Amino acid sequence: MSADASDLSLVRRVQRGDKGAFDALVLKYQHKLVKLVMRYVRNPAEAEDIAQEAFIKAYRALPQFRGDSAFYTWLYRIAINTAKNAVVSRDRSPIEYDLDRNNEESYDMQGRLKDSETPEGLVLTDEIRSTVNAAIDALPEDLRTAIVLRELEGLSYEEIAAAMACPVGTVRSRIFRAREAIDRRLREVFEGGLGRAEELG
Amino acid sequence: MNEELDSQLSAMFDDELAPGECELLARRLSRDEQLKARWGRYAVVGAAIRSERGVRLNAPLAGLVSAVILAEPALAAAHGARRTGVRWWQPVAAAAVAAGVAAVSVLWLRAQAPLAGAPLSAHLTAPTATVPGAAVVPAAAAGAPDSYVVPRAPAARAMAVPSIELANYVVAHSVFSSPVTRRNLLSAFMTGESGTAAEEPRDDAQGNVQ
Amino acid sequence: MLRAMCSSERFVALTLAWAVAGAALAEDTSLGRAPPTQWLERMNQALTTRNYDGTFSHWHGGHVEMLRIIHRVQDGTVSERLASLDGSGREFIRTGASLTCYLPDQRTVLVEQRPPDESLVGFPALNDQTASSYDIREVSRTRLNRRNTHVITVSPKDEYRYGYRLWIDDSTAMPLKTQLCDTRGHVIEQIVFASLTLSAHIPDSAFKPEVSTVGFKWLRNESAPPALAAATQAWNAMRLPPGFRIAARSAQTLPGSTDPVDHLVFTDGLASVSVFVEAQRREQADQPSVPESATVGSSSAFSTVIDGHKITAVGEVPPDTVRFIANQLKAQEPPSVGSRRP
Repeated sequence: MSADASDLSLVRRVQRGDKGAFDALVLKYQHKLVKLVMRYVRNPAEAEDIAQEAFIKAYRALPQFRGDSAFYTWLYRIAINTAKNAVVSRDRSPIEYDLDRNNEESYDMQGRLKDSETPEGLVLTDEIRSTVNAAIDALPEDLRTAIVLRELEGLSYEEIAAAMACPVGTVRSRIFRAREAIDRRLREVFEGGLGRAEELG
Repeated sequence: MNEELDSQLSAMFDDELAPGECELLARRLSRDEQLKARWGRYAVVGAAIRSERGVRLNAPLAGLVSAVILAEPALAAAHGARRTGVRWWQPVAAAAVAAGVAAVSVLWLRAQAPLAGAPLSAHLTAPTATVPGAAVVPAAAAGAPDSYVVPRAPAARAMAVPSIELANYVVAHSVFSSPVTRRNLLSAFMTGESGTAAEEPRDDAQGNVQ
Repeated sequence: MLRAMCSSERFVALTLAWAVAGAALAEDTSLGRAPPTQWLERMNQALTTRNYDGTFSHWHGGHVEMLRIIHRVQDGTVSERLASLDGSGREFIRTGASLTCYLPDQRTVLVEQRPPDESLVGFPALNDQTASSYDIREVSRTRLNRRNTHVITVSPKDEYRYGYRLWIDDSTAMPLKTQLCDTRGHVIEQIVFASLTLSAHIPDSAFKPEVSTVGFKWLRNESAPPALAAATQAWNAMRLPPGFRIAARSAQTLPGSTDPVDHLVFTDGLASVSVFVEAQRREQADQPSVPESATVGSSSAFSTVIDGHKITAVGEVPPDTVRFIANQLKAQEPPSVGSRRP
């Protein structure tokens, strides 16, 4: 199992003209990229704009990508350059004041933006997060451990298999079943009658 | 049937699917909106678990990118287009180093006996990358027009890793610098701008000329 | 500014100097007419007393990197964090008297404890000497990223020091853009703020390092440095470049070592040079003493051996200046103890 086979198979499709395959890459890496960009710009909305720009630039530069490095490594560099470009050339005041004591902590204890500053979408982010957390809490322990080791600790299946003393195939199955269980609840938020969440298609 | 497919999807999402199966699944993924939506929700699950503050979990980002790309010409056709753009990354060229810095003969690191237990850093070459983006990537062919040609990551710069001793002196001195010069000194130190004026970039033959 | 004053006195003296400067400015309703040196003082005051969190680009030698700086003064304690946002992963964190330098590329952490009674304000203050070494002018007022700024140039009168061009924000006195120039006026180094927030409150969590230090080597210095009086020799510079004077003198140990180090600080009011004097270790005594130079961005370091002691000079000055100063160090015998006087 090549570490990058997944991304490369999608990249090759994009290079051959399959635009839909690029959607999958965006969906997979969008949060990581936004988080990366937020090291340069603190404003989440601005970070999203920059991440969006980075993805588009990556798409256009994809013909030059030869697979010498991992796709994400390459994408990461583009995002950094785009972010730097954006912050250095931005045509707005670089100085923000934050002298109001009431406003000093923009994030409350649970790490959410205060409602008054929150565009509608972020209230939904809250809901998504608590849905996922509730779903994970409800999982049988072996499934929960597997998904957390994978998503939080970034361990490979083999590492998880070693940690949980079970075969790799079992790890794969546990993670899949964990995702299934979480997804059942998450679908309601995304596909719920009001169609509140954004997604492709 | 479906479960097998979804299980493959989950494995592919984690980069744990055999390459052959990836190819097949990639094709389905690109065409099947339901599958794509599920894949997208896998990413949301991961981001939610990692609780990254400020990152929206329902951003319209993917949709916006998709819309822009749909309007673009097909990649194969765009390949030949020349782009002028600011090349953001610039190589460390010896000539660009300030004229005021005298040529020096001996690198800092060599003649010192190690501090109690501290390792000597004897590398002229790049420090090992601590961020994923720093893998050494060869520069694209000279003359490639696109500004987002794979830029050479900082790790490829021929910058000396400063010795611990130099670090000690810099830190001890920093308290006594004036506020603005202190920032110059410490910033240079934090970004790894330490070394001697005589260094040249490693891949000079293939290096991008400014 | 000799450290003969005890540090609390020194702190008070400097605070008064600020207060005077601040009062003078308060009276000057037309800010644009403040003399350029006053802008520099306001800038220093802003950098050392305000709370701020910003990102800036650092350019040197054709290479640009982004860094983040967070600075806070709270209950008399200075906290500061400087972190590279690209590549190196290095971080410098100061909390009160403790300076910590994270070097992931060396898998090492340096911790230096400064003396607890050391004044907050170790930086050189602009003085009359400064005017004799530099030509300080306000050359224009200009808008930079939609902020009104005063462009102040500080031109050196000789080749021993660098020049500066500073874009000082009219409202906050923060230097939004700083250029360091050689004597020909060529820009050697540039720092530009990309974003900057002046906060009333910065949480402690902002000063935690991002790098993981699992498996790192920790090097600390002794918290109680040997008394200066115990030194058998007092070192001094026989000559100094014009405008430079000794500003501080202390004994300390460096992280990872127990050997005492004499630390002298010379300054011309703007640039400062530290000279460290250490007894050469026995195992080095047989090696030929090869002078060594290094650069840290535009700053310079130089090391040589004099009378069996390793002399190292570091400062934000051109290489020839640190070389000059280091070579001027000489041990002076104190009056010998127990010698019979006629």
